[in-house]
Amino acid sequence: MPDGDQERFEDYLDLERYIEELQAGHVAHPPKGLTPEQARIYRMAALFRSAAPEAATPRPEFVESLRARLLAMDQEHVEDDTEEDTLKIPIANKSAERTPAPTPPEPQEVPRQEAPRAQPQPPEAPPRAAKPERVRFVSRRSLLTGGAVAAASLAAGVGIGSVIEQSQGSKSGTAATTQYTGTPDATVPLVPNNIATAWNYVGTLAQLGDGVLRFATDTVAGFVVHIPKGGAWEEEEEEDQVIALSAACTHMGCLVQWQKNRQFLCPCHGGLFDQYGKPVNAAGHLKYMTPLPRMETKIVNGEIYVKVPKSNA
Amino acid sequence: MQKFQTFYEETHRLIYRYAYSQVGNQQEAEDLTSQIFIKAVRSIDHQRDPQSIQKWIFKIAQTTIADYWRAYYRASVSSLEELLDAGWEGPAAEEPVVADATPAERVQRILALLPEHYREVLTCRFLLNLSIKETASRMGLTEANVKVLQFRALKRAADLDTTVSGKV
Repeated sequence: MPDGDQERFEDYLDLERYIEELQAGHVAHPPKGLTPEQARIYRMAALFRSAAPEAATPRPEFVESLRARLLAMDQEHVEDDTEEDTLKIPIANKSAERTPAPTPPEPQEVPRQEAPRAQPQPPEAPPRAAKPERVRFVSRRSLLTGGAVAAASLAAGVGIGSVIEQSQGSKSGTAATTQYTGTPDATVPLVPNNIATAWNYVGTLAQLGDGVLRFATDTVAGFVVHIPKGGAWEEEEEEDQVIALSAACTHMGCLVQWQKNRQFLCPCHGGLFDQYGKPVNAAGHLKYMTPLPRMETKIVNGEIYVKVPKSNA
Repeated sequence: MQKFQTFYEETHRLIYRYAYSQVGNQQEAEDLTSQIFIKAVRSIDHQRDPQSIQKWIFKIAQTTIADYWRAYYRASVSSLEELLDAGWEGPAAEEPVVADATPAERVQRILALLPEHYREVLTCRFLLNLSIKETASRMGLTEANVKVLQFRALKRAADLDTTVSGKV
């Protein structure tokens, strides 16, 4: 059956290898550099593989664990909305609370507060924004205390205080088991080991790109930063990293702002930190700032999570 | 909450099978299924009726898997460009309309249309999960023959699939 396409001996071998890998239950991919016709052959192999009797039945453990995870996410949505209702924010205060906030206006927050139960993804959400309902942290606290400055201290006060003691005393040996990327010695862990924590979803690697994602919960506000490899910490890093650090300036507590030159700038007193959270001010009362404390991150299926203290709310 | 339970019950198997039929292995099928459902739950609109929710999650599945293929092909950029130059429109263009035929149905239709020796080799290798050796023995061929035969059978199957699902 001459087809006009030249078949090479390697084609048969490559295909056979692929089929055997699938039969063995391994992850397998077609070889690179395929023509469209050749690619279709491999897609057919995957399709036919799925017709094998046991093949396309999902594992019960997988089904259950995904169900649990989805239920947890769904619950989160329910809780967020309930809390919002019970605050009973009067209309007048709502507008007042937004103006003093030093953070840049994030228009998608407004519809979030008014929105009913439905949770649509805001289509024009700027790449820096994490889940919109999480950024509500700022506005809710602002209502209580009159500004995001106090909000940061309230939320991160205990954490920062104890962290400063730690860093002035010894090396950060306490949380040595966390999965820091970046040189361990000079990083300061924000969240102690002995408190209840939760993994907070921040966004996807795609959303992060090569910049930052901001996030805020009831207990912390921070940034997830993508550090390209060779980012010049103490030594050249060999691969890209994703780190999370606290947004609360270690000088007094205002929330720092990400700049185009890949530094964090504090709007209150001009404190500057590099992309690792390391202070860069050389002079004056800012000379002895401690680094922005780190939070533990994990990435699952391209989704970024940060470990934050559980809220008592 | 109940709505979600029902939705998950009814859809998870379908989505998993669809993902599996694209990638051929359990691990990636699970990864993709998780991604798809998480995206869905994040942006689900509970106002929709169950039918349209199911259609909508299949749409998410399609785009998620198209992204997966795109990421894979992009790994060798030059080959992607070659493919595009050769008139290939990208992985998304090749997706059959999922709602029409389940993977199992597609396979059955294709098998029915294949010439006998092609049908037999694919049945042995895939449906019965036989090895090259077992298949060769069963069909009275050499192992080398079987390798050539399965290649051509899948190629013919790809052509037939175009016909079967009505794509041009």
